[in-house]
Amino acid sequence: MRRRTLLKHGATAGVLGLAGCIGGDEGGQETTTTAGDTTTEAEATTTEETTQTTTEQSLSGTLKVATYSSFIDAPSTAPGGWLKKEFEKRHPDVTVKYETPDNEVNYYIQRADQNVDIDTDVYVGLNVDHLIRIDEKLGDKKLFTATGDDLPNYGQVKDGLKFDPQNRAVPYDTGYISLVYDESGVDPAPETFQDLLKDQYNGDLIVQNAKTSITGRAFMLWTVNTLGEDQYLDYWKDLKNNGIKILGSWSDAYTAYENGEAPMVVSYSTDQVYANRQDKDLSKHQVGFLNDQGYANPEGMAKFADTDNPELADEFMNFMLSKRAQTKIAQLNVQYPATEWAPLSDEFQKYAKTPENPVTFTYEELQGNLDSWVDSWARQIAGGK
Amino acid sequence: MTRDGATAETRRDEFAPSASAWLERHALGVLGVATVLVLLVVFYYPVLTVFADAVRVGGAWTLETVAEVLTDPFYFGALAPIFAGEFARFGAVAAETPLGLFGFTAFQALLSTIASVALGLPGAYVLSRYEFPGRRTIRSLTILPFVMPSIMVAIGFVAFFGTNGPLNAVLTSLGLGPVNLLFTLEAIVVAHAFYNAPLVARVTTAAWESVDARMVETARSLGANPWWAFRDVLAPQLLPAILTGALLTFIFTFMSFPIVLALGGFQLATVEVWVYSLVQELEYAEAATLAVAETAVSLALTYAYLRYEAQESGGRTTNPPPRKRLLPESPTLLAGIERVGVVAYAAIVAVVFVGPIASMVAESITGPQGLTLQYYQFLVQRQVEGASFQTKPGVAVQNSLIFGTATLLVALPMGVTVSVLTTRGGRGSRLADAAAMAPLAVSGVVVGLGMLRGLVFGVELFGARLRVTGPVAIVAAHGVAAYPFVVRNVAPLLGGVDRSVVESARALGATRVRALLDVELPLVASGVAAGAAFAFAISIGEFDSTVILATGSSSYTMPVAVERYIGNRTLGPASAMGTVLLAVTSASFVVVDRLGGRWEA
Repeated sequence: MRRRTLLKHGATAGVLGLAGCIGGDEGGQETTTTAGDTTTEAEATTTEETTQTTTEQSLSGTLKVATYSSFIDAPSTAPGGWLKKEFEKRHPDVTVKYETPDNEVNYYIQRADQNVDIDTDVYVGLNVDHLIRIDEKLGDKKLFTATGDDLPNYGQVKDGLKFDPQNRAVPYDTGYISLVYDESGVDPAPETFQDLLKDQYNGDLIVQNAKTSITGRAFMLWTVNTLGEDQYLDYWKDLKNNGIKILGSWSDAYTAYENGEAPMVVSYSTDQVYANRQDKDLSKHQVGFLNDQGYANPEGMAKFADTDNPELADEFMNFMLSKRAQTKIAQLNVQYPATEWAPLSDEFQKYAKTPENPVTFTYEELQGNLDSWVDSWARQIAGGK
Repeated sequence: MTRDGATAETRRDEFAPSASAWLERHALGVLGVATVLVLLVVFYYPVLTVFADAVRVGGAWTLETVAEVLTDPFYFGALAPIFAGEFARFGAVAAETPLGLFGFTAFQALLSTIASVALGLPGAYVLSRYEFPGRRTIRSLTILPFVMPSIMVAIGFVAFFGTNGPLNAVLTSLGLGPVNLLFTLEAIVVAHAFYNAPLVARVTTAAWESVDARMVETARSLGANPWWAFRDVLAPQLLPAILTGALLTFIFTFMSFPIVLALGGFQLATVEVWVYSLVQELEYAEAATLAVAETAVSLALTYAYLRYEAQESGGRTTNPPPRKRLLPESPTLLAGIERVGVVAYAAIVAVVFVGPIASMVAESITGPQGLTLQYYQFLVQRQVEGASFQTKPGVAVQNSLIFGTATLLVALPMGVTVSVLTTRGGRGSRLADAAAMAPLAVSGVVVGLGMLRGLVFGVELFGARLRVTGPVAIVAAHGVAAYPFVVRNVAPLLGGVDRSVVESARALGATRVRALLDVELPLVASGVAAGAAFAFAISIGEFDSTVILATGSSSYTMPVAVERYIGNRTLGPASAMGTVLLAVTSASFVVVDRLGGRWEA
């Protein structure tokens, strides 16, 4: 009885991730929202949505979705709970089960490489680097299978974001790597890559390690993209001489930035959305685009080749692209939607910034180059010199 | 002792030749075999499968990668042309990259070891030679830094030593100006000292508490001044423990990577940082080669140390000198100077240890708008309302305590068994001892990878796939990681126990195990208690194998929860969880030490 009360409370108050949490242990995960008086309530809140997507009552079973842990477990906001709840509401006989192995997609590449069976259905959180690694390490073995055009909502995905020539990875959101700076610490703010080499910015920039961090790698690729393959190493040598700080992860870098260790950090152009949500001083969270650019970093999802639930997996991926889910993912993951039809919330329109010229490398451009670019960069920076 | 010996005697008569009597006679052998089996399954097999990657590329055996790595000046600096046999290039390489990644890594490890010993020894002196209220509690808490997840240490260090941190505020108000301490080699060395000085202090305290003071008195009565008595009599009794601390510190800091990543910056990358990156990129051949080279360095040092330790051990009994009071009974100049030194040391401890920890706690109650309890509210809310796939604080605390206790129960017998088996015998046992120390000497990244591929994925045997995962595997892995600490705390003391005492017990009919339990262990109780505390600490602080072996289950621990609560643009929830970890482990250490202490006394 208590469970039902809480569920009602959850639906009305809009508290996330409440469905199936009352058990308090492993078993809790199996509790799905059962039909009955709760569904009437659910219908009331989602009438608009049900007209858009057809509910397939025939689908049933457990859908295993693998992702990175902050997608479902971030202390601030995470889309995972909402997605599970909504999807299970649409498909009363379906249970969504999340998996978050510590080494993320590498875990599945390693399994495939060692010929160990994979019983996961969908992976959420792929980027183009992952695809290149998969194809390099696994060769002819297939980890994911192409879906793209099979999904009715795929037509809504912005063309510029599609990053997999084989249509395995379907983009569901995107972010732009940019500078975030404190107005009072850098005056005027640097506008070009060359500006960053000026004396006045000596020791002012924190970036992440391109070997271990997604933002760090994106920033490094941005320099290759803009300055050219022959120039970027010299550029980094100059940056290093100008007192740049290269930390391990985005979190390490951002913490140091917030503690005032340097007035600039490499981060996302959606930074002000967070800053505003936490009532922070926006003058300390200005977004800067070098050369009017920002490095686009779309995130994708893909269906495992060995899935036993291909239809259910397709349905979930299609749902991720639905107007409602796209709007919600953008809000909860604080990234831009990947589709044309999701409206940007007022909050996004006001605080999130889009670069004039988004740049990014395609799969083809990175293939065969990525490893050597990153490795040369790393050897340039490290080595106890 | 006599009474216990008699009990053993009667028990033997009653049940002989029953199973329990057989077990008592062969207990050491049985435990030895069990230890070897656990080591093989959760350590040697997984790790060797990864090491094999160094020489097996694409299904064929080859030494190509090994040769490439060894002759790469980026890795080995001036040694690379020597390995390559190109002596002509030596000069050019030595000018360009003299150290290489390995050289730099060893250099920072050496600095970190010196700092740790310098910071740890005075602590050991104060804790073992002074009597003051709360001494035992502080001694218990010395081990606390050891369990702090590196992410928390980084949070605390960045907050405390940062440009706008409290330390700089104090220095500026004293007119000493702001100093830039972060993202430098110094920051890494201080953070390494934060982790390892307590280790040096704890190991040395255990030795200092079991020295034979009568020898010092004898020396003094024979006319030696206090300095000579210390140098000739006391120092040799302490040196094995100090060197144990230094050796462990060197190995850990040689293999360090999370601290280097978070506090040093990539310019100061170590070999392990490189191994980690290579594993992330699934470049196993190169990663394995580097890891084997790291292991070779660590094991060589361990072996050299063990040879030394074997030479040093001699028969003695425990008879520590009485402790001094903080306020001297008879005020002399020397006593006064010594007390001033103690106060100065306390100030340094406050900066290096208390500062970062307090800053981390402060972070957990500070929001954008000042003081707040919202992060603790988050923990409560997550516990009550969190979905099943989310990390709950209560479950994490419970798991940590269960795993910690279980690890203690596994690691203590394993460690004592290995100590007994290796403190006897000659050259062969030194090698066996070094092999038993291997869990400390192998790259954590490689151990993790081996566990993933060897245990989580499993092995195909007779058509079935054998997997080792879940809580039992986690405890076994923690036990393997922890028992070397028991060995290193117990073995040097055990080696020093007067053999004739044990032999007379055996002559009176006690089994080997009885003699161990009733005669030897009580003599080295302080070492056993220290080993137990370390075993518990290792389990609480362990991160990598817990995450790997707990894949997809609810077996996460407190450090795992800290890591998962790192929010987007806020460390509040993570530092609140970190504070919970701090509180729970502090309480546990006091309990572990008190229980150990009861047996000690």
